[in-house]
Amino acid sequence: MTQELIAILLFSGMMLMLMTGQRVFGAIGFVGAAAAVFLGWNNGIEIPFTAAMKLMKWYPLLTLPMFIFMGYILSESRIADDLYRMFHVWMGPVRGGLAIGTIGLMVLISAMNGLSVAGMAIGATIALPELLRRGYDKIMVTGVIQAGSSLGILVPPSVVLVLYAMIARQPVGQLWLAGILPGLMMAAMFILYIYVRCRVQPHLGPVLPESEREDITRAEKMRLLRAGLLPLVIFASMMVPFVKGYTSLVESSAIGAMTAFMAAVLKGRMTKEVFENSVRNTLGISCMFMWIILAALGFGAIFDGLGAVKAIESLFTEQLGLGPWMILILMQLSFIVMGTFLDDTAMLVIVAPLYVPLVGSLGFDLIWYGVLYTITTQIAYMTPPFGYNLFLMRAMAPPEIGLRDIYVSIIPFVLVMALALSLVMIFPQIALWLPEYVYGK
Amino acid sequence: MPRAILSYIRAIDAMNRFIGRIAMYMIFVLVGVLLWSSISKAVFVPSLWTLETAQFVMVSYYVLGGPYSIQLGSNVRMDLFYGSWSLRTKAWVDAMTVFFLIFYLVILLYGGINSLAYSLGAPFDMTSGEFFRGLIGTFFTEGPAAAKEQLGFMERSSTAWRPYVWPVKTILCFGVFLMLLQCSAEFFRDLSRLRGVEA
Repeated sequence: MTQELIAILLFSGMMLMLMTGQRVFGAIGFVGAAAAVFLGWNNGIEIPFTAAMKLMKWYPLLTLPMFIFMGYILSESRIADDLYRMFHVWMGPVRGGLAIGTIGLMVLISAMNGLSVAGMAIGATIALPELLRRGYDKIMVTGVIQAGSSLGILVPPSVVLVLYAMIARQPVGQLWLAGILPGLMMAAMFILYIYVRCRVQPHLGPVLPESEREDITRAEKMRLLRAGLLPLVIFASMMVPFVKGYTSLVESSAIGAMTAFMAAVLKGRMTKEVFENSVRNTLGISCMFMWIILAALGFGAIFDGLGAVKAIESLFTEQLGLGPWMILILMQLSFIVMGTFLDDTAMLVIVAPLYVPLVGSLGFDLIWYGVLYTITTQIAYMTPPFGYNLFLMRAMAPPEIGLRDIYVSIIPFVLVMALALSLVMIFPQIALWLPEYVYGK
Repeated sequence: MPRAILSYIRAIDAMNRFIGRIAMYMIFVLVGVLLWSSISKAVFVPSLWTLETAQFVMVSYYVLGGPYSIQLGSNVRMDLFYGSWSLRTKAWVDAMTVFFLIFYLVILLYGGINSLAYSLGAPFDMTSGEFFRGLIGTFFTEGPAAAKEQLGFMERSSTAWRPYVWPVKTILCFGVFLMLLQCSAEFFRDLSRLRGVEA
């Protein structure tokens, strides 16, 4: 049997295993372990455990529970609720302003946690009912919240970029810096879209009524502005010592988790229930991620050993005669297509070991590709029938928002994200300027 | 379902829940160690032990919490088809496919035990099974001191602090073993569900 054939067998075996609905890590781990046993390599049987030890020696893995913990503290303790009020009051007079403010809110929340769950929770339970009450179009606002919260995985701290860093063997710090500008650019594009759309169709986003605006005093407005300090403090407490080089990435993540925890305690929101829920969910989600990475690393090691990546590369470049850019575009397209029907977390760890070495050997920058990869994941998070954000939305949204509304709502935002993706592809400097500036490459 | 099996499921659940709940709070130990590391770096001499201690706690957090995360149902499945099946269908498919998961864990544990034997300095002409049998046998017949004699060159981590590697590997193996127990409990739970008994 040729190596290519074995590689194809492994890959399709894994797909088949995933279809049975067994836990994702079990499905991936089994295929890797079975190959390790039956390929008959010297000490091959120890590959799964060797991969496990490699993971356990990888310090950035420590950041995972920290950022997940921060996210749960934010969403469970509701310390970020004032932030919504702030945007509400300040952006209300603009047409579509509340929706624009929601995007701003999402950017701030993204800077305080590494997943999209916290943004989803705050968006769907606080922002969404308010927006609907003010007569905002329900399809548009549903899309706003899903698109906005997906920024959580691109704006640092980002759990997805940590996972990517593990697989691509790239420094997490640079990847995070690379995520900042594209994240802000994407937020700006969302805002532009909302603004223009509400100009053309004013009924989609009415201004806050005059009477309501007069109720809010200037002092109140100023007081609410203080709410904006919280994300700044949390973000700065993590990023400043890190970028200055006083602390390592891992230490910074612990400082961030501590700051978020203290903020909740000081605001009197750290009840027994909040504490229990955030600590327990953090364990559940962290373990889920860890076991999937563990299984995927074992699988990836086998795949590496087979030289499967080289085979795929030669298939594209020599036999099909494609240029590197053509291959890259094909990869992103297939990534998006796969994202629509594969579970997102699974896709993340399955696709990365396959695509990342290929991108590397084609001569592209792996930091830059990390950003492309994350934006594509964001799109996958939102596209039906399987999207993490879609599921969350369905679970959290008020009953008047139907499944159809949720599906329709994302279309314009996915288009905007695809545009952002192509912009970063065409102009790599959008992603690479900041890390090069900071690290003086 | 035989009573013995139902109590087996309950016992495993209770044990893994207990261990998992302890692991769950280790996140605060992690935060503490890492904060100490940043403070000591800023204020006095950087501590050598912090990162490796954090790593050790992290391994415990992840692997000892694993079985509890299965109980919590946190481990994602691809529910393209799975999501639309009845509870009964899910139970019998799971009861079969869980063996794939168990196979993976067994291979993981096998590699782990070999690697642990290496870290304890097992002689090269001995399999890890013989090594551990000899070690445990000596421990019970001739006492700890004699058992210690059997250990060879112990593997250490290649950093300044140079801790032994075997504690991390022991925790890892123990965690995988707990995972195996939990999976066996899940298997019996599915079986009893098929017989109409919720365990």
